[in-house]
Amino acid sequence: MIQLYAITDNPGPPLPDVAPLKTVPIDGLAAVCAPAGETEASPEMLWRHEEVVEALMADRDLLPARYGTRLEDEAALARAVEDRRDELAAALDRVRGAVELSVRVAAAGAPPSPAVPPQASSGAEYLRVRAHAEASHERTANAVHEPLAALSRASVVGRPRPPELFRAAYLVEREAVEPFTAEVARLQDAGAGLSFLCTGPWPPYSFAER
Amino acid sequence: MRDKLLHAPPDFGPFAGDLPRIDDALGRRVNADPESLERGLAQLVLTIVELLRQLMERQALRRIDAGGLSDDQEERLGRTFMELDRRMAELREEFGLTEEDLNLDLGPLGRLL
Amino acid sequence: MTTTIAEREVALVDLVDRLLGGGVVIAGDITLAVADVDLVYVQLRALISSVATAQEKGLMPRMGGSV
Repeated sequence: MIQLYAITDNPGPPLPDVAPLKTVPIDGLAAVCAPAGETEASPEMLWRHEEVVEALMADRDLLPARYGTRLEDEAALARAVEDRRDELAAALDRVRGAVELSVRVAAAGAPPSPAVPPQASSGAEYLRVRAHAEASHERTANAVHEPLAALSRASVVGRPRPPELFRAAYLVEREAVEPFTAEVARLQDAGAGLSFLCTGPWPPYSFAER
Repeated sequence: MRDKLLHAPPDFGPFAGDLPRIDDALGRRVNADPESLERGLAQLVLTIVELLRQLMERQALRRIDAGGLSDDQEERLGRTFMELDRRMAELREEFGLTEEDLNLDLGPLGRLL
Repeated sequence: MTTTIAEREVALVDLVDRLLGGGVVIAGDITLAVADVDLVYVQLRALISSVATAQEKGLMPRMGGSV
């Protein structure tokens, strides 16, 4: 069994030394893989996987694979990539030269969400809570999304997980990461009672399938 | 590698509660057989149900906003959605699926969840 | 660079969301039946995505009617 790390251009620079990596060429694309161990979904394994993808990303453009993508062998991998060759090539072009940044926004001072959200005591209360959440999301998105999208090539607005008010992924040119981060800091300091969390740069996970 | 923080908020409070959920989601992934046909079908069906549930809920909220529903109608609507929400959580649990597994990409409208 | 527990935790959340929810999905050489389900799922996603776009552009009626 082999596991897939990413789809890149072919040809490309030599592979980094971080794992027993191999490239499987498919026309102008290459699939970067390695022998598969146990697909364990522990934080350590996820970070280790991520380190490999980021080592690749240091000197090339890529589409990161979903974690745990396993195939029988290289021939199976080549077939699977061949099936979607044109889409994958287009997707790679869309993310070329850019990285992903995550932005999550919450009301400053909000407590973390309980593991099990409290059950509403009536139907009307349930709807009230839902309506309030939708309105907060819209308000926050209006304040926050536009200035950040203006600094990005593309964006995906997610559904916030309480107590978040807003969450989105931004595809940002590598050189624009700093001005983007500065804008997040500016929005934070604008004092609208919001707390901003920005992480990255990530490989373009949220833009690989669009 | 762990220094992925580009901007940290003055307090992590609101963002701090996620670890139990993550552990839970990771655990379920390991335990549920990822190649099970049943799980794949459940994922497909539940995604559609979840999509409809959210569309209906949003539509109901818009309708309530516009007015014209009695308190009694609102209450019954709310209870129905509350029950649907609860039932969906049970079904997800049954099949070892997380909310992220049902996270449909709605293109320009972003993701479902 | 030393990071606090909270910092590692929030970064982990963003990591997990990406690795398990994002990235390219290549249908593996699993059983044919499961691969078919994956294919239907992807097609359905494309269908729903195009319906949502059509609604947005006013080309399709939104859900409505009496409750």
